[in-house]
Amino acid sequence: MTAGAYHAQDEAAMSIQFEQVTKRYRGVPVVNGVTLEIRKGEFFVLLGPSGSGKSTLLRGVAGLTGIDHGRIALHGRDVTFLSPRERGVGFVFQHYALFRNMTVADNIEFALRIRNVPAVRRRERRRELLRLVALEGMDERLPSQLSGGQQQRVAVARALAHEPEVLLLDEPFGALDAKIRGELRRTVREVQRRLGTTTLLVTHDQEEAFSLADRIGVMHMGRLLETGQPQQLYRQPATRFVATFLGAANLLLGEATAPGVRLGRAVVYQARPARNDAVAGSEVVTVVRPEDIEVTRQRHALASSCMGEGVVAEAAFGGGGERLLVQVHAAANLQPATRQEPGLHPGLPSGACLLEVTRTAAESMALPLAAGDAVAVGLRRLHVLPTPVSSFLLRASTAQAVAALRQSPLVAQLAGSTQANLAEVIAAGQPAGAMFHGAGVVVVDNTDRTPADVAALLLHGARRLLCVPPAAALPRRVIIHCPDEALQAEAMGLVASLAGHINAEVSFVSVVPRGAPGAERAQALRRLLDTRAVVRASHGFDLRTEVLEGEAGEQLRSLASTPEPVLLAMSIGGDRREVETALARDVGWLFAPGTRSSLLLSYSGPRPAALAGVL
Amino acid sequence: MVGRSGHGGWRLREPSVLPGFSLAFGYTVLYLSLIVLLPMAALVVSAASAPLGQVLATLAEPRVLAALRLSFGAALLAASINAVFGLIVAWVLTRYDFPGRRVLDALIDLPFALPTAVSGIALVTVFAETGLVGQWLAGLGIRVAYTWAGVTVALVLIGIPFVVRTLQPALMALDPALEEAAASLGARRWQTFLRVTLPAITPALLTGFTLAFARGVGEYGSVIFIAGNLPMHTEIMPLLIIIKLEQFDYTGAAVLGLLMLVLSFVMLLVINLLQAWQRRRLGLVA
Repeated sequence: MTAGAYHAQDEAAMSIQFEQVTKRYRGVPVVNGVTLEIRKGEFFVLLGPSGSGKSTLLRGVAGLTGIDHGRIALHGRDVTFLSPRERGVGFVFQHYALFRNMTVADNIEFALRIRNVPAVRRRERRRELLRLVALEGMDERLPSQLSGGQQQRVAVARALAHEPEVLLLDEPFGALDAKIRGELRRTVREVQRRLGTTTLLVTHDQEEAFSLADRIGVMHMGRLLETGQPQQLYRQPATRFVATFLGAANLLLGEATAPGVRLGRAVVYQARPARNDAVAGSEVVTVVRPEDIEVTRQRHALASSCMGEGVVAEAAFGGGGERLLVQVHAAANLQPATRQEPGLHPGLPSGACLLEVTRTAAESMALPLAAGDAVAVGLRRLHVLPTPVSSFLLRASTAQAVAALRQSPLVAQLAGSTQANLAEVIAAGQPAGAMFHGAGVVVVDNTDRTPADVAALLLHGARRLLCVPPAAALPRRVIIHCPDEALQAEAMGLVASLAGHINAEVSFVSVVPRGAPGAERAQALRRLLDTRAVVRASHGFDLRTEVLEGEAGEQLRSLASTPEPVLLAMSIGGDRREVETALARDVGWLFAPGTRSSLLLSYSGPRPAALAGVL
Repeated sequence: MVGRSGHGGWRLREPSVLPGFSLAFGYTVLYLSLIVLLPMAALVVSAASAPLGQVLATLAEPRVLAALRLSFGAALLAASINAVFGLIVAWVLTRYDFPGRRVLDALIDLPFALPTAVSGIALVTVFAETGLVGQWLAGLGIRVAYTWAGVTVALVLIGIPFVVRTLQPALMALDPALEEAAASLGARRWQTFLRVTLPAITPALLTGFTLAFARGVGEYGSVIFIAGNLPMHTEIMPLLIIIKLEQFDYTGAAVLGLLMLVLSFVMLLVINLLQAWQRRRLGLVA
């Protein structure tokens, strides 16, 4: 979707619109810049782990929780500042929240009684609703005389009584047992289909999301990471988090090559390029679903491309299918993209890689396998994540300094949340040759560096460089500065992949010279807004925008001089001298000892000479 | 140790890991007999020794009837006032957080701890016509001290902890989703309060009301100072009983005592039945 297409969409066809919605608790955003549009009649499911902000967002629609920033509209009507009463939504709570002193009939008629609807019409509507939720004849029961599933049915009927435009459900099946949950799920889906009410449901259960949703939005740490149809999100996730949260996934490090992706010793051919910005030779993260792995006794029996050989470490019967844990031998050189915690798999030989495999009952019947059996492993399908963050490489001059980097709040948070590999390099002085071939994000300490050092790192292949003051607290704001428009796409991708893992608000700033003509300011603003729309469409990520006047270095410095630390993200290009000059001019102050701000650089200049020769 | 099992047998409502029914029940009976039933029986016996004519004559005394009216009327009024304002106080203490909340919370228990005579004297100094509030009220032509209004004020003071302390846990246990549900269904604030919140806390409110009322009927210490004790006007039943005792009319005192006992018991029983019915309606008891 381009910026133009986004604006051209018919507002009236939209049922719920969130625009840059942010909610903070004690300064920490729990809902962070969420922008989302839900179509009329759509069944949308917000999926996320507990504490991801999904319920807060839902309560924001109903007006039960106020928001600090942004706008919420229902059918084109701005409801941001309306009371819950005036919003005309139906809300279903996890623990039913039925009025215990009223009968089922009185509960359902509550909204109508409030609106002074005559008794005859109330009774009619009540009968109709009870039929809809399959509770006919239960009118005079008290909630205490109903089972949990029946109570939740009453709650659904009650929420629909006043014919709301929007139905909101907050973990409605969470308190029910599995069988009842399935029945109620079908009822809710059926009711929604029949009435065509726009429905927004919150859950942490991915199976529930898959079975109900027209579209799913996955939330994590207050951000809406991705939205899409269930199948699309499952097969082509854009982020590590979604890949692992929706179903099981093996994340493997690969290398982008001209014909496809290299995984260890095997090359998997792909019709489409793995990632638009993935230059051949760069490291990528691939998602391999357990059902996309083929297992046979012999290598030649594989119908798909072979990844290597190994042994079955574990076989577990799972009813309709079977789950295997296959330990692929070190010779295959498979690199997991997630950190393997030491001690989690004792006895795992170094270099070996554990793969999760699921097989259908028919497959396991055709080839029964038990722990200890030797197998060959083939790959039917893989998906390459568009994220530029494949792994972290910590670089410092002493082991102590590396450890300090690893323990810095920002690195610890990123490593913990992404589960990406952390490699360490102890090296003094400036790099020589192409040191960082293919590496993901290189992390260094910025308190003992100079712009010249940093320029040298960038030019020796550390194209994504994170400079962190080890002692600084987690940044609460991310500020993006991209003076060169041609370089901004890559920087945005990098920021989008990292910012989802820290609780920070992101703003995109443009600095125009003081006293610049109006046309120049207008152009800067237009570029910010266009970029915002593009970033939103391609990364599902919302930015705040700001045009500042003056000198870039000075303005950035004043933006960063807040009590909370800041992460400054910049794109940079050119040869060594240009890089050095730009760094010294715009962010020279960041390298002073005692600085608390971090710097994220995305370099798109010429590749190191040594590398150019190789490729 | 579960008692006799089987249909209609005495036993625990639900099997528990801590049985010992027989022992606990034995102590309960003994304890209640010694502390409650025996003194009551003594009262009944001494009242019963009086000839029926004397009993009826005592009950028909205008002074007795006036005292009865004042004692029960003032206690009822005070408990009602406490039900309203105690609810507001409990609401403020549980719903909001403000500086000094803990101090205010501790203040509620003060009437429990203070000797009742002390609170009585304190009330007189404030509400007498020369007192802090009394002189201001006197300006408006309202007399509190030495009138039935003074009696009510004293009973309000000693009754307030009962209402607040029984309502607080009920308000805290109230599911906030109930009020949110009502609001999302279109109810205004007062509609939400009247239709949803109030019915949910009514059992606790009734309990508080009952306790405050029961305490008010029997209260002596704090009332006699502010009441003025004018026969036929501001004389409460407990005082009348003491007067009878001081006149060595033990039978008369016992008759009046028994009368209060019966009236209180009947009223408490009615309120308790009302509560049980309410609870059944709310589905709190299977």
